Amino acid sequence: MLSRKRIMKRDHEEIYGATGYGSGSGAKAESSSIGNPDKGKLWEEEQDAGGMDELLAVLGYKVRSSEMADVAQKLEQLEMVLGTAQEDGISHLSCDSIHYNPSDLSGWVQSMLTELNNPATSNLDPVLANSDSNSSILGQINHSEPSKAQYQQQIVVSNQSQVYSDDSEYDLRAIPGVAAYPPPKSKSDLESTRKRMKTSIGSSGSTGYGSSSSSPQEIEVSGAVTESTRPVVLIDSQETGVRLVHALMACAEAVQQDNLKLADVLVKHMGLLAASQSGAMRKVATYFAEALARRIYRIYPQDSLDPSYTDILQMHFYETCPYLKFAHFTANQAILEAFATANRVHVIDFGLKQGMQWPALMQALALRPGGPPAFRLTGIGPPQPDNTDALQQVGWKLAQLAEIIGVEFEFRGFVANSLADLEPEMLEIQPPEVEAVAVNSVFELHRLLARPGGIEKVLSSIKAMKPKILTVVEQEANHNGQVFLDRFTEALHYYSSLFDSLEGSGAAPPSQDLVMSELYLGRQICNVVACEGMDRVERHETLIQWRNRMETAGFSPVHLGSNAYKQASMLLALFAGGDGYRVEETDGCLMLGWHTRPLITTSAWQLSNTELTRELS
Amino acid sequence: MVQHRRRNRHRQDQETVEGSKEKRPKFFINDHVDILVEILKCLDGRSLGVAACVCRLWCTIARNDFLWEHLCFRHVSPPSSVRSVVVALGGYKRLYTACVRPVRGRLGRVRRASWTCHEIQLSLSLFCVDCYERLGVVGGSNSSDEKFVGKSSPSSLMFLCKPVNV
Repeated sequence: MLSRKRIMKRDHEEIYGATGYGSGSGAKAESSSIGNPDKGKLWEEEQDAGGMDELLAVLGYKVRSSEMADVAQKLEQLEMVLGTAQEDGISHLSCDSIHYNPSDLSGWVQSMLTELNNPATSNLDPVLANSDSNSSILGQINHSEPSKAQYQQQIVVSNQSQVYSDDSEYDLRAIPGVAAYPPPKSKSDLESTRKRMKTSIGSSGSTGYGSSSSSPQEIEVSGAVTESTRPVVLIDSQETGVRLVHALMACAEAVQQDNLKLADVLVKHMGLLAASQSGAMRKVATYFAEALARRIYRIYPQDSLDPSYTDILQMHFYETCPYLKFAHFTANQAILEAFATANRVHVIDFGLKQGMQWPALMQALALRPGGPPAFRLTGIGPPQPDNTDALQQVGWKLAQLAEIIGVEFEFRGFVANSLADLEPEMLEIQPPEVEAVAVNSVFELHRLLARPGGIEKVLSSIKAMKPKILTVVEQEANHNGQVFLDRFTEALHYYSSLFDSLEGSGAAPPSQDLVMSELYLGRQICNVVACEGMDRVERHETLIQWRNRMETAGFSPVHLGSNAYKQASMLLALFAGGDGYRVEETDGCLMLGWHTRPLITTSAWQLSNTELTRELS
Repeated sequence: MVQHRRRNRHRQDQETVEGSKEKRPKFFINDHVDILVEILKCLDGRSLGVAACVCRLWCTIARNDFLWEHLCFRHVSPPSSVRSVVVALGGYKRLYTACVRPVRGRLGRVRRASWTCHEIQLSLSLFCVDCYERLGVVGGSNSSDEKFVGKSSPSSLMFLCKPVNV
């Protein structure tokens, strides 16, 4: 179906060029035999005022340019209905039928559809009953009601539930196609009900992201042939966006039910649907489809890739969007306030990477009234595959900077496969009277949830370090549920918002930074969806879940002050496209989100009073 | 704007000098560098840059970091230790052009009075991060150097350079 649209868009050569699922080629053979019945052939030459499509006229088909979009949809409906009706046979079409001249494409398709819809009612009952009532009004182009769109969505959902008992390979009824509900020509109505799914309607090839307000006008078919192709793609991309989401969900359900055959078919279908989209929706769908495919075929991604590659990807992510900067700045502010009066400070960073967080803290310490304290940094990182000491190199750079700005600095690096392998004694921590300790973890703690007992061990290690403050930055989503389908749905929502925000902030030509950032997120998606067990390390949890964990372990929350909030708000205002970012304060924690969806959370913790008294006693 | 007026006055002074040589004493602004500095202190960043193109003397003076410091901290009195840090990191002119100006520009529409010192702090932090990125890697001349960071052009401030997408 989709390739047919593309061909219509590009070549105008073969209307029936698509050989999608075997049923398509059947349509071609049958239609040619049906198209010339001996009896009851009514030739109706439609003389129209406006121009006939020239290219099609060359081939012998007369289609009004103004009706091109409509005809395309009806052709698609026809194929769907022919495909599904194949089992019952469509021999009834060869008798007692009055068919119009096929060169008048519009009328012919309509007559075919009205014929086919009636007998096929028995097959897809609730669905086509709806389309029956619609078949009489197929001619009306601009018929759209939001209520109808939602009603059709409900039909869609109920249809889905009947589906996966059937094991047939070609049972694509899981995806309610065009025959299930005629495309609602609603424009902004559909878009407003699906805020998350921003199918950005742009021209077919370029990546110009037109505003949604311009799309209604573009749906009107304009005169010239080349212009009329664009609306065909537009309407489809809205509707295929809906179908894409449904396909994703259906595939995930199939995987959940271990119905791998159906899942396999759906994944392939999703690839085609995703290709028709543009912008954030396309990228998200592509990554999720790939992850699902990996899960189905058991081709798990090797996580043992170069950590420096991940670092590079994260650097690009750092530059493109404010999430990491927000994390660093808010955590630094909390640490700075905790270190207000200390003379010697020690920061333990659970994931040093490139050390981008610490220059800002060192500068703030240098400008502290009363002069900078002695600053000691312990960085923890994964082992490098070729035994290079990446940690030491970062330490060198930080030492250089510290010398420039005049802060006494000491660095120590520790290589560890997992944070749970750390022992507090290794870090040589001084008692609290001598130095104030801060522990910082940016997107590191959730990895420990993969190993049973991991997080508890690390939290007790942290307690043994007696930190003045523990800053935790984590993703605000629950990707650690027991049920795969729940995780999948959550992840779909989360990463859709994340990709939307990346689209909003990017420059018009997608820069390399943007591409790398998306790759960085794509790997996370792959891990959440495709991996299981110890390999699935992206086990994000929400603030509430972390709070429970922390409070059970003996930490009490520290409120991030208004300074952090102001700084964060200002930082976000600096970002181009920053109108969508929101900072919220929830119980002393700061959440950064895109529009209404919080995406990452910074929280700060200290040892609770009970813990302190236990230490003393 | 201000500069135009000053320039006009300068020209007028010269004309009146030409007109009545005997009555008025000659006044060339370039002879009075301290007055020139005071005037330049009142300018905004762009005008200061333009002033640096007038003549060699003005160029030397306008490049003086002291003027740029005044520009950065016009409304806020910073702690005394700021200067040593900023100078070490690359100077006030760099701070202004790289951070303060884009930050002020971007925040211009949503600025509130209480934000000024936060603006400075934010600018300083961003400046420091930028300087950190520009630092080379010291020590370790083995082949794995390319793999480390691998960034020839530091770009942590690129988000400030992109056009604001209103």
